[in-house]
Amino acid sequence: MKNFIAKFINTSALSRDNSYCYQDVSVFLSDTSQLKSKEPFSLPESSKKPCIVCRNVNVFYKNKQAINDVSLDIYRREVLAIIGASGCGKSTFIRCLNRMNDTIEGCRVTGQILFDGIDIHSKDMDVVLLRARVGMVFQKPNPFPKSIYENVAYGPKIHGLAQSKRELDEIVEVSLRKAGLWDEVKDRLSHSGLSLSGGQQQRLCIARTIAVNPEVILMDEPCSALDPIATARIEELMAELSQEYAIVIVTHSLQQAARVSHRTAFFHLGSLIEIGPTEEIFTRPSKKLTEDYITGRFG
Amino acid sequence: MNQKKLSISTAILVCASFILIVTAWFSPALAARDTIQIVGSSTVYPFSITVAEHLGKKGFKTPKVESTGTGGGFKLFCAGVGETHPDISNASRAIKDSEKETCALNGVKDIIEVKIGYDGIVLAVSKKGQPMDLTTKDIFLAIAKQVPDPKEEGKIIPNPYKTWKDINPNFPNIKIEIYGPPPTSGTRDAFLELAMESGAKSFTFLKEMAKKDEKQFKSIAHTIREDGAYIDAGENDNLIVQKLDGNPKALGIFGFSFLDQNQDKIQGCSINGAKPTFENIASGSYPLARPLFFYVKKAHVGVIPGIKEYVEEFLSERAIGDNGYLTQKGLIPLPKEEREKVRNTVKGQL
Amino acid sequence: MNRPSRIPTADIVRRSLPRRYKKERRFLIYGALSIVVCFLFLGIFFSGIFRMGWRAFFETRIKLPIYLDPELILPYNIKESDYGLVISQSLQRFFPDVTSRQEKRELSKLLGAGVEEVLKEFVIKHPEAVGSAVEIWLPAGDGINLINKGVISKERAIQAGLVTEGILQKFEQLSSDGRVSTGFNSRFFTSGDSHTPSMAGIGGAIVGSFYLMVVTFFLSFPIGVGAAIYLEECAPKSRLTDIIDININNLTAVPSIIFGLIGLAIFLNFFKLPRSSPLVGGLVLSLMTIPVIVIASKSALKSVPPSIREAALGVGASKIQTIFHHVVPLALPGMFTGAILGMARAVGETAPLLMVGMVAFVVDIPKKLMDPASALPVQIYLWSDQPDRAFNEKAAAAIIVLIFFMIAMNSAAIFLRKKYERKY
Ligand SMILES: Nc1ncnc2c1ncn2[C@@H]1O[C@H](COP(=O)(O)OP(=O)(O)O)[C@@H](O)[C@H]1O
Ligand SMILES: [Mg+2]
Repeated sequence: MKNFIAKFINTSALSRDNSYCYQDVSVFLSDTSQLKSKEPFSLPESSKKPCIVCRNVNVFYKNKQAINDVSLDIYRREVLAIIGASGCGKSTFIRCLNRMNDTIEGCRVTGQILFDGIDIHSKDMDVVLLRARVGMVFQKPNPFPKSIYENVAYGPKIHGLAQSKRELDEIVEVSLRKAGLWDEVKDRLSHSGLSLSGGQQQRLCIARTIAVNPEVILMDEPCSALDPIATARIEELMAELSQEYAIVIVTHSLQQAARVSHRTAFFHLGSLIEIGPTEEIFTRPSKKLTEDYITGRFG
Repeated sequence: MNQKKLSISTAILVCASFILIVTAWFSPALAARDTIQIVGSSTVYPFSITVAEHLGKKGFKTPKVESTGTGGGFKLFCAGVGETHPDISNASRAIKDSEKETCALNGVKDIIEVKIGYDGIVLAVSKKGQPMDLTTKDIFLAIAKQVPDPKEEGKIIPNPYKTWKDINPNFPNIKIEIYGPPPTSGTRDAFLELAMESGAKSFTFLKEMAKKDEKQFKSIAHTIREDGAYIDAGENDNLIVQKLDGNPKALGIFGFSFLDQNQDKIQGCSINGAKPTFENIASGSYPLARPLFFYVKKAHVGVIPGIKEYVEEFLSERAIGDNGYLTQKGLIPLPKEEREKVRNTVKGQL
Repeated sequence: MNRPSRIPTADIVRRSLPRRYKKERRFLIYGALSIVVCFLFLGIFFSGIFRMGWRAFFETRIKLPIYLDPELILPYNIKESDYGLVISQSLQRFFPDVTSRQEKRELSKLLGAGVEEVLKEFVIKHPEAVGSAVEIWLPAGDGINLINKGVISKERAIQAGLVTEGILQKFEQLSSDGRVSTGFNSRFFTSGDSHTPSMAGIGGAIVGSFYLMVVTFFLSFPIGVGAAIYLEECAPKSRLTDIIDININNLTAVPSIIFGLIGLAIFLNFFKLPRSSPLVGGLVLSLMTIPVIVIASKSALKSVPPSIREAALGVGASKIQTIFHHVVPLALPGMFTGAILGMARAVGETAPLLMVGMVAFVVDIPKKLMDPASALPVQIYLWSDQPDRAFNEKAAAAIIVLIFFMIAMNSAAIFLRKKYERKY
């Protein structure tokens, strides 16, 4: 079993030393200790207080139920990975967290989702404010058809985060730096965001999200449209961002979940089957379904 | 587009629309009308615009002339008194009693009638074709939907005539094919009255009927056949001229001025022995001639500048005299004494 | 299982190939043929109109010595002097052999009916010339003009009574003296309507059409786009919005004269707006154009990918911010295209204008939105209905100008679409 698990651990260390070498995964089979030694990924004590609390969440599209009674907590400064077969409701669930499902005709969410102790569906929580505090990165890179600068500056602008042009410039630079894009684009900030490569575009979208300085970042399969090198850059980025933000990432790649997350939630047909520390889920899953999934027996 | 530019242009758009709507709302109160408004007959239209332009050169605003047809003109003219209603209505027939009533009902009480001359209605064929010597009776038999039975006196049958020869053995053996004006036109009204009624009255029993039961008589004389021999050619008389040019066997019905202007293409048929010429229409020997008028709303005289001058210009010798500019345009003038009389009566009313 | 192996499949495909290609070729031929037919019709139409109309852009001019008699043109009365008399006296001096009254009257047909105006303009410009004889180019009479430009043969013109033998002789004499020229008729573009063909122009109609377009655009674009944004982005989808949608679609198919009737009832009879004004005409055309713009704008909004909306919402933009900062700018080219096409349709309409009194003889070029005005298609309609022959040519020329208008507008639509297309 352990040997098998190691397959998923594509050493974040390796990806970080810029070699980006994705050879045969079997190279890494030997050392399972990497799981535990992921130093920056271990859950800090201070973040034990949940920042998002979900209780009995159900989601319906018209009359079809897509999410079935899900309850889970999301902590500060952790990376929570959501895995599961295609169509099991991962996206649907993550979109509940910043009420992105409001935009879908006929979509209904029941149950409680508390952000900072406030029900996000209640009157006390404005949806604009919620989305400013819970940012989102989408599956397909979707920069605005505007300049790189405008892309990053848009959020701060509408929220009035900068008092002056200088402050705005600073926010843009810091965000791009955090997204690891600054060196690549600093000479062409006025170029269209669409002139960048897919991986750069996705990092631009991340920069756009963190420019608003949210508390939680939701990522819905952020790497599925990217090549391995770009994927590695994003994963690296996530590791850094998790120092400050809570990150919820939906991923199709079990390796990715194993590499980047502290905890992993496994969804199946709209239900939360199991949630726990990543290491545990991948090494000793308590449910048969989970084991079947991560060992590749289905899905 | 950047945000600021977009919001500015949106703002401009909205403001502009707002201003437009507001000005639209209050505009009638802003300025009194100083342009004469003329509506009515399309036959009088060419004469009316000529006079209008002459008035415009005298320092007045050039009157605006709409060609609405005689009936349409009276409808607008009689809708009321005031700036929003026309001052003058052109007509190719005299005003009907029913129209006078509508006028009176809407407060248009004093109307000055001005007779300006005559127009002839001609039946013409292409120059490539053969002109016929028609009588109004022939016309009636060729065009009416129902005609007297030639075999049985006093009986009415559906029009059986297919060729001109069927009507009169002296006529050529060609299919009856006539292009004419549609029901909305004043030319058609006048044609029905002048040609068809007189044609119908050439039958004694129909003449009797006209005295006893006018309604029934009119339903016979005014109903045009619908079996394809008579073709509604639309309001545009130039179109009829073109069609005749392309079809030497067909006849066309239209105003005299179109014959006058296209003498290289078409020729007129004589009616009851009289050729449609300027002289014959003026002397009254051509039977299909109708008087032309315009009507002036007295309440507007002196309020809208230029009405009096317009009427005077219209009636002047240099306009409707024997060599006047309207006469040169095809208006058939009134006899000299009648012109004088009209001038005097109108002057008294203005 | 006797499932055929791979070889038979290839055989089957190979056998069916010729038939498939033949079918495709046939389709291509049909396509090419229909294009040819379209172009044929277009060619016939354009060449016909062009052949009829191009000459109206030119006019025949005759150079004559005019003695600006100081007894007739008094300095304080320059504007109201009898220039007709000035011209006829000069004509008589130039043709001393003309004596009879009849001949004198005919002689005036040598020159266009509006020559007095031309002379007046000249004198106003050169008041110092009064008292001397000047050689001036004056527009020729309508009959002469038609003959000189080759519209009508001499025999036909004489038959139709447009000119007389005598006048024609005089004209030929002038022509051999080098006193005749043909030049560009700029008056056609600057002056308003007139009862004399030689003086009539489409200047007033162009201004009227321009005002109509301005009013139509500024009313229908904001309203149409606003309605589209609300329906597409804001209104909850319900049976009611469906009904509204269907009705807007139906409105585009309503005969345009109906809008004229509505305009008559609402703007003229109820609001008492001035009849024949471009304001009312524009309002009526707006009624007609709004549904077109709504539909075009809605589909433009629909074609903006949802990912852009999600991106904006994701950083915390409100719904309206999302719409106005991101969705509308991307849809704007499509909206403009729809608006221009809708207006191109409106600019060619006469029927609705008939109802609100814009089908009218208007000489003065409108200066305000409230002044009486006509429009290009109206001018065409009016001229084609005139008995006077020379107006037919004018109508064809006006059609050429109108077509040019339309081509320009449609090109603008294509240009806008190409320029801003798919930037996402
Ligand atoms: N807009 C929608 N309308 C109706 N059903 C939807 C919609 N989006 C997703 N679904 C359904 O909800 C289920 C979960 O979808 P999704 O959350 O996209 O799955 P995942 O992201 O895990 O692949 C699927 O069965 C899908 O068909
Ligand atoms: Mg998904």
